[in-house]
Amino acid sequence: MTNIIATTDLRKSFRTRNGQVEAVRGVSIEVGPGEIFGFLGPNGAGKTTTLRMLTTLLPIDSGTATVAGFDVARQPQQVRTRIGYVSQLGGADELATGRENLLLQGRLYGAAKQYVAIRAAVLEELLDLTEFADRRVITYSGGQRRRLDIALGLVHEPAVLFLDEPTTGLDPQSRANLWDHIRALRDSGTTVFLTTHYLEEADALCDRLMIMDHGLIVAEGTPRALKQQVAGDAIVISLREGERDGQRAAAVLTGQSYVRELSEQDGQVRLYTGDGGTALPRLIRLLDDEQIGIRSIAMSEPTLDDVFLRQTGRSLREGPEGEASQASPQLAEKEPAR
Amino acid sequence: MKTVRDIGLLFQRMLVQLLRNPVWLVVGFSTPILYLALFTPLLRQLAGQPSAVVLDEFLPGILSLLAFSTGVSAGFSTIFELKGGVIERLRVTPASRFAILIGPIAASMLMMFVFDAVVVAVGVGFGFSVHPGGLLLLAVFLGLLMILTSAFSVAIALLTREISGFAAVVNGINLPVLLLAGVLIPMSFGPAWLRVLAHFNPLYYLVQSSRVLGAGTLTGTAVWEAAAVLVPLCALTLAWATSVVRKAVS
Repeated sequence: MTNIIATTDLRKSFRTRNGQVEAVRGVSIEVGPGEIFGFLGPNGAGKTTTLRMLTTLLPIDSGTATVAGFDVARQPQQVRTRIGYVSQLGGADELATGRENLLLQGRLYGAAKQYVAIRAAVLEELLDLTEFADRRVITYSGGQRRRLDIALGLVHEPAVLFLDEPTTGLDPQSRANLWDHIRALRDSGTTVFLTTHYLEEADALCDRLMIMDHGLIVAEGTPRALKQQVAGDAIVISLREGERDGQRAAAVLTGQSYVRELSEQDGQVRLYTGDGGTALPRLIRLLDDEQIGIRSIAMSEPTLDDVFLRQTGRSLREGPEGEASQASPQLAEKEPAR
Repeated sequence: MKTVRDIGLLFQRMLVQLLRNPVWLVVGFSTPILYLALFTPLLRQLAGQPSAVVLDEFLPGILSLLAFSTGVSAGFSTIFELKGGVIERLRVTPASRFAILIGPIAASMLMMFVFDAVVVAVGVGFGFSVHPGGLLLLAVFLGLLMILTSAFSVAIALLTREISGFAAVVNGINLPVLLLAGVLIPMSFGPAWLRVLAHFNPLYYLVQSSRVLGAGTLTGTAVWEAAAVLVPLCALTLAWATSVVRKAVS
């Protein structure tokens, strides 16, 4: 199988006020044609920076990248004609109509007017834009805009479509709708390379994914294979006296034979066990004996978050203010690439 | 050929954006008219001359000023487009990098000439004497300065990326350039060192030549000097700004 995207040891650093920041620290990727490939990681992990190098927007510091058969650094023009890119910001002209945007975009790729008009109509149909294609973009809803952005990225029938955080800011319904559109693209032969910091999105949408953190790939595989790495069940225990009891509970549980891995954070103990059903009553009894009060307890099959946690010691679930993104504030600041 | 086509497309795109922005249109038309309406009476008092004489002297300077301010503010829409992802959307296409820079500049230039024409027409109503040859050459110089300052402004916008940093640079440049150009207060009022300093200001040459050209003289020293300064400076700035578009981090 020839790869449609291949990189070896891709690197990028930025100068900031706080000195040199290594945003991408040696990323090697191989993506085959016709798959939905995902980049999962917290804000500031280096996902967007990698994407922008692959799409010729950002000079590569070192390493090599080939996209659609051409070297990104040496043949940017050839790469550009074969890829579509939809940034987090979209980038449609707000004062123009959806159709005007599509027509201009198509012509910038060198296509003739008549051809672009036909292509625009096809895309309007494909992405359910027909109804409002003649309205100015400024009147569009979030979901409508996102679909137009994607249509703009597809106007020249690219072999690869890069989507940077495609569903950020969308309501659940629009998100599910967009997922369907992305799957349909894959089914029609387009390779889709997307970044996301949503676990559900990576899990539900991607055929294969890489988990990225601090500029490095920490795990790679199909969502299923990745989750299987974390065998058994995950149990999360919140303690009533979190401050005081978190460490104590961790100490008590660590020695138990049925506990495979355990981590403690802010009064929350998270552990993995082969069989949750038998482990659960035993650990409740144990904590009770030690007079450690339990606020809540939850058991689940492993998610991609457990994979991330296992690789990095942190959870992806934390919001934008959480530790996952605060771990590299300079990167988070740099990366949105506005 | 491809570059020309891309310039055409991006010119058209920007023109549509400008024409659909009513606030911008109103401000664009009213600013030069306000200058004329407010400064002419003032200068008439100062110089003790009738409007017609004052306008002959002052109107070409206003056009120069307009070219400068149109150009310098070009970067504001660049910042806006950066924030909206427009610049990235264009840079990821195979469109010529030079076209991405110059297309929008050409559209604002066309609008500037429309505003200029209005100013001249209003000026004529108050006695400004038109010398077509001189005005035509002046238009060329105005265009050169406008391209030069626009390209500079767009490049600074791409490099600073934020409205705060960009505005700081532009405001910092505005004051000395405008003062040392002698548009509103002739440089002959200033001390020798100030007059020497003025010679490092491209706008100064445009303003000097604009007075000569406005009076219908096509071959004065001021005209040659303006050409000798503006043409190479414009070319250099365009080359630099194009390389900034090519490599822009944002």
